[in-house]
Amino acid sequence: MADTPVLRADAIHKRYADNEVLKGISLTLARGETKVLIGPSGSGKSTFLRCLNHLTKPDRGTIELDGVEISDANIDRMRARIGFVFQDFNLFSHLSVLDNVSICPIRVKRQARDEAIRRAREELERVGLGDKADAYPAELSGGQQQRVSIARALAMDPTLMLFDEPTSALDPELTGEVVKVMQRLADDGMTMLVVSHEMGFARQAADEIVFMEGGHIVEQGPPETLFSQPAQDRTRAFLNVIAEHG
Amino acid sequence: MIEFLQFSAEQLPELLKGVPVTLSLWIIAIVLGFFLGLALAWARVYGNRFWYALSTAYIELFRGTPMLVQMFFIYLGLPQLGIVFDAFTSAVIAITLNSAAYQAEYFRGSVLSVPQGQLVAARACGMTQWQAIRYVVLPQALRRVLPQWSNEAIIELKFTSIAYTIGVVEITARASDIGSRTLEFFQIFLLAGVIYLVLTSSVASFLGWVERRYYVPGVTHV
Repeated sequence: MADTPVLRADAIHKRYADNEVLKGISLTLARGETKVLIGPSGSGKSTFLRCLNHLTKPDRGTIELDGVEISDANIDRMRARIGFVFQDFNLFSHLSVLDNVSICPIRVKRQARDEAIRRAREELERVGLGDKADAYPAELSGGQQQRVSIARALAMDPTLMLFDEPTSALDPELTGEVVKVMQRLADDGMTMLVVSHEMGFARQAADEIVFMEGGHIVEQGPPETLFSQPAQDRTRAFLNVIAEHG
Repeated sequence: MIEFLQFSAEQLPELLKGVPVTLSLWIIAIVLGFFLGLALAWARVYGNRFWYALSTAYIELFRGTPMLVQMFFIYLGLPQLGIVFDAFTSAVIAITLNSAAYQAEYFRGSVLSVPQGQLVAARACGMTQWQAIRYVVLPQALRRVLPQWSNEAIIELKFTSIAYTIGVVEITARASDIGSRTLEFFQIFLLAGVIYLVLTSSVASFLGWVERRYYVPGVTHV
């Protein structure tokens, strides 16, 4: 059991009409591991992430969470164990911050209301928003909204956290607060797969960087080697582009 | 003016007997229309092609024909097929079916105005499609639809007056009776108008209160 990876994705394929977005992506995550997926836009990173919890249904390939294959029959139970953080937050606009964080434990895990509220306050403290419990999403900055959405995912006690470009909808001065929360999560031993071009985060928090292009994984390795001595020319070219803009 | 007040004092008790009939006609129809309208909107937004087509056809039919014709059809036409409803029931059915078509269109618009990403986020945390709609989409859609819905509710309140034509003894029917008896048509219909105005403005301010009560920044406006 100790050897069973938290996540094992095997040969994931996805095609939209003539466009084959994923051409057989395989990836595993051990418990407590953080991997960062990078690559040019259109390389299939986000599609792959969404395939992992069937927000997008893969055409072929298998996905296992803690050794159990994800299928139509168990998808809702599996999703309850996979925290997903969206680029544009997707908080529930009609609910206060506290209710945003507690609604899924209450409705999905049938947690007692008091217990869920207590836990929600804890998670809000953890992302530094204990004082915003009664605010509505529209009253928060983008960075605060994203931290609430991380708290919402954490309140479900996820086995795995997926981040889909969590900072790209944010103004530059707001990315820091979100990155800091993610950094601490990684340090605390959360198993995380992150699509992001936050190179600081990737360098500091990632156990491995995965470079995708054209629906393939081109190269993967620990940040220190991949960033300084990439084996592939395409990886090097991409890193140069990122360095110029970042 | 004094004459009108005197006339009103004499005729008001009789006229007011129509108010409970008008109100029950309206409340039953608007509430039934609410649920039927939700179901129709559901069919149009989330249904497969069959339900979509059925719902669309229904809405076109009832919005495209006069309510008076629908009411006559139910009260006077259906008995020829052996389907008989009394006048009150016929009026309730006609107003319900008609109102449902309009409510459905308002609901559809408000459901579609809820950002799709929130439904996805609800599914991503393990909610079923039904739960996501129940706990995330509907609470926002209902808040957003309130201004239009209030408008529709008030229109239907006034439309109950056409039930008079099939013999439901509501406010307009009573006014007409009193008019024929006293020949004071000017005064009695003026008085009937005042009663309708009091009813519609009470409903409007109640629904305005509901809007403010359920106001959420970012979802609705005040």
